[in-house]
Amino acid sequence: MPQVKLFDVTKRYGKVTAVDRLSLIIEDQEMVTFLGPSGCGKTTTLRCIAGFVVPDAGHIFIGDQDVTNIPPERRDIGFVFQNFALWPHMTVYQNLAFGLRLRKLPKREIKERVHDALALVRMTGLEDRFPRQLSGGQQQRVALARALVLRPRVLLLDEPLSNLDAKLREEMRFEIRELQRQLQITAVYVTHDQAEALVLSDRIVVLNHGRIEQIGTPQEIYQRPASQFVASFIGLCSFMEAHVVESSAERVLMRTEDGLVIETMSKGLSLGQAVTLALRPEFIDVSWTKPENSQNVFQAQLVRFAYLGENLDCWLKVGKWDVRVHLPASRVQKLDQQLWVRLNPEKIIVIPTEGVLL
Amino acid sequence: MGIRWQKPIFKALAIGLFVFIVVGPLSSVVLWSVAIKWYWPHVLPQEIGLAYWKQALGLQRDWAIAAVSIWDAFKNSMIVSIVATVITMALAIPAAYALAKLRLPLKAVFLLLFLMPKVFPQQPIFVNLLPVFTRWGLAGTLPGVMLIHILVCLLFGTWISTSAFKAIPESLEEAARSVGATRWQAFWRILMPLAAPGLLVSTVFVFVTSLTEFTGTFFLGLPFVTTLPMLLYSASGYNMQFASVLALVLLVPSLLFMVLTERIFRPEHLGSLGR
Ligand SMILES: Nc1ncnc2c1ncn2[C@@H]1O[C@H](COP(=O)(O)OP(=O)(O)O)[C@@H](O)[C@H]1O
Ligand SMILES: [Mg+2]
Repeated sequence: MPQVKLFDVTKRYGKVTAVDRLSLIIEDQEMVTFLGPSGCGKTTTLRCIAGFVVPDAGHIFIGDQDVTNIPPERRDIGFVFQNFALWPHMTVYQNLAFGLRLRKLPKREIKERVHDALALVRMTGLEDRFPRQLSGGQQQRVALARALVLRPRVLLLDEPLSNLDAKLREEMRFEIRELQRQLQITAVYVTHDQAEALVLSDRIVVLNHGRIEQIGTPQEIYQRPASQFVASFIGLCSFMEAHVVESSAERVLMRTEDGLVIETMSKGLSLGQAVTLALRPEFIDVSWTKPENSQNVFQAQLVRFAYLGENLDCWLKVGKWDVRVHLPASRVQKLDQQLWVRLNPEKIIVIPTEGVLL
Repeated sequence: MGIRWQKPIFKALAIGLFVFIVVGPLSSVVLWSVAIKWYWPHVLPQEIGLAYWKQALGLQRDWAIAAVSIWDAFKNSMIVSIVATVITMALAIPAAYALAKLRLPLKAVFLLLFLMPKVFPQQPIFVNLLPVFTRWGLAGTLPGVMLIHILVCLLFGTWISTSAFKAIPESLEEAARSVGATRWQAFWRILMPLAAPGLLVSTVFVFVTSLTEFTGTFFLGLPFVTTLPMLLYSASGYNMQFASVLALVLLVPSLLFMVLTERIFRPEHLGSLGR
């Protein structure tokens, strides 16, 4: 039952508030990801949980134990570092055995557990290598094994894959997720890579300026982003500013300042309220001839595109707004091409803009 | 592409410079140490022999040759330098660790205090220390000379050791903490082995500094404590042969140390303290 609980955790560095009254409960056996841009406080929060950083205020619990002022060596955690942090003067075996030896376990048990941990990350047979004799991917596996060999209560990972090449990174995502499930370990994973977060997490915590922007499952975060920041950070998204001009039981209409009237399905909005409309590429149907049904259909102009292989990443101008869509390469002919877009009313994400009334 | 022909040229230049700076004066020192008779304008000594060496090493005693046995001074030098080095490093290593790894509120002040003796000329400091040393019964004693050597060496020792600790990524220590090592255990099992090459370099520097220390010993040790540099000083000027013998003897321990540590000597160990 080692839940991890953070209550109002705050950490300042001079004028910078790296972590700002952050509260969060991470459930037993859950894998939670801290996601956010560089400098948003992910690492600092993780290091607070590890005990490398003592928060200025707030409390941290692991299980029922208040660990706020307990040094890292007594927190029973495993930590995987971005730079692997294997001890260069020790072999793989010695790296893994170090913590077990500190616990004065019998030699035979140490041997068994090191062997098991290496098998877990598929590194059997490399016991006598030194870290410098391993590839980046192998080093990361050893680092993972070193963190797991002690069977910690919580596994903490700080951008563990960011030093690996793209292909390996993708493989390792699944492996880490698989290991976490298999070992039923509570894990906190820090990344700035949204794809990693979507694949790995039970829940994603989106951070910005040391605060939580949104907590939710990958689906919730993707489909119902709570703010423009979240919407733009996860997945591709285009935005339009608008305000509510009709809000009845049948339909809700928004009007942009350049006069586009867009129907959405969102409820609970009041007349005149300012909103941001977030559009994912897959919510937008593009046609080359004017569709018959004219609901939410707007004329658009192709202004820029980038080659992605089968698809083109396209920038359209709809009214004054930039809208990103992916189109099959075969259908795009030239720039300034006239198109029609239909914005699916059920899918448009409506984010109320706080405090602005028109 | 340019590197291909630049490299050998660099190498040749470096070697040439090395020969010019080190071997040039050294060869003349070697010549002087075996010169029995060498008058101007002769390019080479007119008469060579080992008389000065024999006399210096206590193998003969001939009043006609102006050289005394160096063994007492050699013994003093060794005792003082070894003890001073051990104590200096015992102080420098923890200080370096603290400077490199801990967040000390008064680090800047501490550093400044530390650099003070290097900014001020040393002679007035030593002269002012003399009454204090006399009161404590340290003037003209081996412990007194050791103390002054420690004061002189502590800066070098701490400086280079700090770089050795700073070169170790923070995460290596944290990784140790995360698997259950206390700060103390992490220090001994992770930081010390990794800092060892740099600390060894630091030790060599301290040892050589102490072995060749002159000013402090001159003011606070003489006339009762004579070290090799003291002998060298009194011989230089009027007795080039004996001075050359001494210079070569002084070089031996340093060279030995250099050879021992050459393989682990890396420029980053001399990196800056302020990083
Ligand atoms: N040791 C430190 N000293 C000073 N500022 C720090 C320190 N660690 C982090 N910060 C600052 O705190 C903020 C959050 O940093 P961090 O937690 O590392 O962000 P992230 O991991 O999300 O990129 C940044 O503005 C960073 O500059
Ligand atoms: Mg970070």
